[in-house]
Amino acid sequence: MRITKEAKKQNRLAILQAAQKLFIKNGFEQTTTRDISLACGMAKGTLFNYFKNKETLAMTLIADAMETGREQYKHRKTGEEHFEEELFLLIASELRALKPFRGYIGPVLESGMSLFQKTVSCEAGQLARKEHIKTLIDILHFHGFETAADSVTITIYWSLYLGILAHWSRDNSENQGETLSLIDYSMHTFTNTVSGNMENRQAVSNE
Amino acid sequence: MNDTSPPPLTAIQTKRIPTSSFMRLWALGGSHAKIAGHFLSYAFQKQFVDSDTKQLLKNEFHLKSALQLLGSMGYLRGAIMKIGQMMANLPQIMPHELVEVFESLQFQAPPMHFSFVREVFLDEFGKEPEEMFASFEKRAFAAASLGQVHRAKLHNGKDVAVKIQYPYIAATIEADMKSFAFLLQSMRFKKDFKYLHAHIEDARSVFLKEVDYLAEVAVMEKNRQLFLGSQIVVPAHFPEYTSKRILTMDLLPGQHLQTFLATRPTVARRNHFAELISYSLVHSWFQHRTVYTDLHTGNYILMDDGRLGFIDFGCCQQFNEQRWKDEIEAEIAMFTGDREKLLKFIMKVSMTDTLDVLSSAQIDLFMEQIEWVVAPIMAKNSFDFADKEYVDSGVRLIKKMVRQSTLRTDPFFNWTNRALLGHRSLMYRLGANFDYSSLYLKEMECHLN
Repeated sequence: MRITKEAKKQNRLAILQAAQKLFIKNGFEQTTTRDISLACGMAKGTLFNYFKNKETLAMTLIADAMETGREQYKHRKTGEEHFEEELFLLIASELRALKPFRGYIGPVLESGMSLFQKTVSCEAGQLARKEHIKTLIDILHFHGFETAADSVTITIYWSLYLGILAHWSRDNSENQGETLSLIDYSMHTFTNTVSGNMENRQAVSNE
Repeated sequence: MNDTSPPPLTAIQTKRIPTSSFMRLWALGGSHAKIAGHFLSYAFQKQFVDSDTKQLLKNEFHLKSALQLLGSMGYLRGAIMKIGQMMANLPQIMPHELVEVFESLQFQAPPMHFSFVREVFLDEFGKEPEEMFASFEKRAFAAASLGQVHRAKLHNGKDVAVKIQYPYIAATIEADMKSFAFLLQSMRFKKDFKYLHAHIEDARSVFLKEVDYLAEVAVMEKNRQLFLGSQIVVPAHFPEYTSKRILTMDLLPGQHLQTFLATRPTVARRNHFAELISYSLVHSWFQHRTVYTDLHTGNYILMDDGRLGFIDFGCCQQFNEQRWKDEIEAEIAMFTGDREKLLKFIMKVSMTDTLDVLSSAQIDLFMEQIEWVVAPIMAKNSFDFADKEYVDSGVRLIKKMVRQSTLRTDPFFNWTNRALLGHRSLMYRLGANFDYSSLYLKEMECHLN
């Protein structure tokens, strides 16, 4: 029996929703693909037609949330933000959308977006990275900075961004206020790097 | 009180101060530990070396610390201001130059940008500022030591001031105070260590109280009621726009002291505001038994119509029954020159039952302090707060306190002392010359029986 495009979409959504509930309830590590297939009333084989493993499934959930966050950023943006502030808005908006996934984002990003992966092991993770970087490059261009997607500038940014995500996933301060400060400081550092501002280096040499 | 000359180390502040970042919190771990470390190594070493070397060490320490402070202060403001205030509150252990450096930085905290402010709003109210207000100015118009203030308009057209606290500041203060207390462990063998520890604990509790805007609102409302119908205006707050970290209140039109003085106001106008400032403190002191421990120019708005806006109630302390009784008894003793009772008061302040633990120099210094504090009240007519002799003797007193290094004092006494010095400093800056004595004694009258 051929399955319609709409039914496929519905199945995919049902799997994602069931997985999300189980990840929150039992944790990412403790949840198995069998649990998920049982929860959404599908055969395990059918589940694998949609997602090749649990990591990809979780990464898809996270990538979807990141996309929602980027949409919110576009909606919230006034056009008056300075460069550093706009980057802050982008990341803060994404983190707000990612909030339901905070409890298990760490291990998922480790497998889906790790800096040490030589080969593409998680397409959802790679796609999420690509889309985020695309938005970053748009911001850079808007503020008059020219850069390519594979430049050192982007590598520096991505390292800071993953650092923020890692910190946020473990941040127990109220409303993750510590992470807000970290975003601010990280984006200030990044702004200094791309604009060639050496203020911080001088500060260090005075110590 | 202020020295007539500019702070000796102000001139070396050459580095541009960042104005668009919240990064200071992230420099805390490194730099403030270093400053505290240098300070402590000085404090510790000075116990064991002769006076010449001591002076040398002292100068070296001052310079080193001031440079480090000035070099990195942009990133440290906020939480470190609290540490600074605490140290300034302990002139016995705080080098005078550093007090000046800290105080000169009071109005220069770098602001959060608007995107940052929006996140704080979402965390506190689940709404963006532009959803809550008819209009909201993106740039802060004033800085507070733990936050910043924006102008906004309510949907009913009312102009308001919205004070927004830096996120994570309470945890930062807590962590800094802990590491500061830890660093002080190197002094634990010093005989007065337990008193030093008590000062730090006390300061910690006062500062942590300041981060709760709802607690501040309670004090503000009490004072609003107290000053209703007078020339002192305490802003009303708006509960539906107020939380633990965001305080929305009436926007009072007027100037801060610095701007007011820059307009070269007449003597009469300066004295008018000096009287109102004094009244705000003395009336609250006697009616509410409240001490304003963080008294500075930012607490007041000098309004064009001659009224005085009293706007900041974050950092204050309340006398308990016993302390209040002691205070009134001591004040009466000060005015009557009852040395016996004053000695009893000194013992209480020094947390001892016997005078034996106090040196005659310590007792003399206390007496000198008392004399200096009551001089404007004893004048019985107009008193010139800018009188060179009076100001100089105050500076000499502070220096003596620094040299004497007395830690054995009730922490509460330090706050009242600091409040008094804050008042005298404001009076000095205004060049005030008025009948403070009548104002004070009238307020005190009902307590004399």
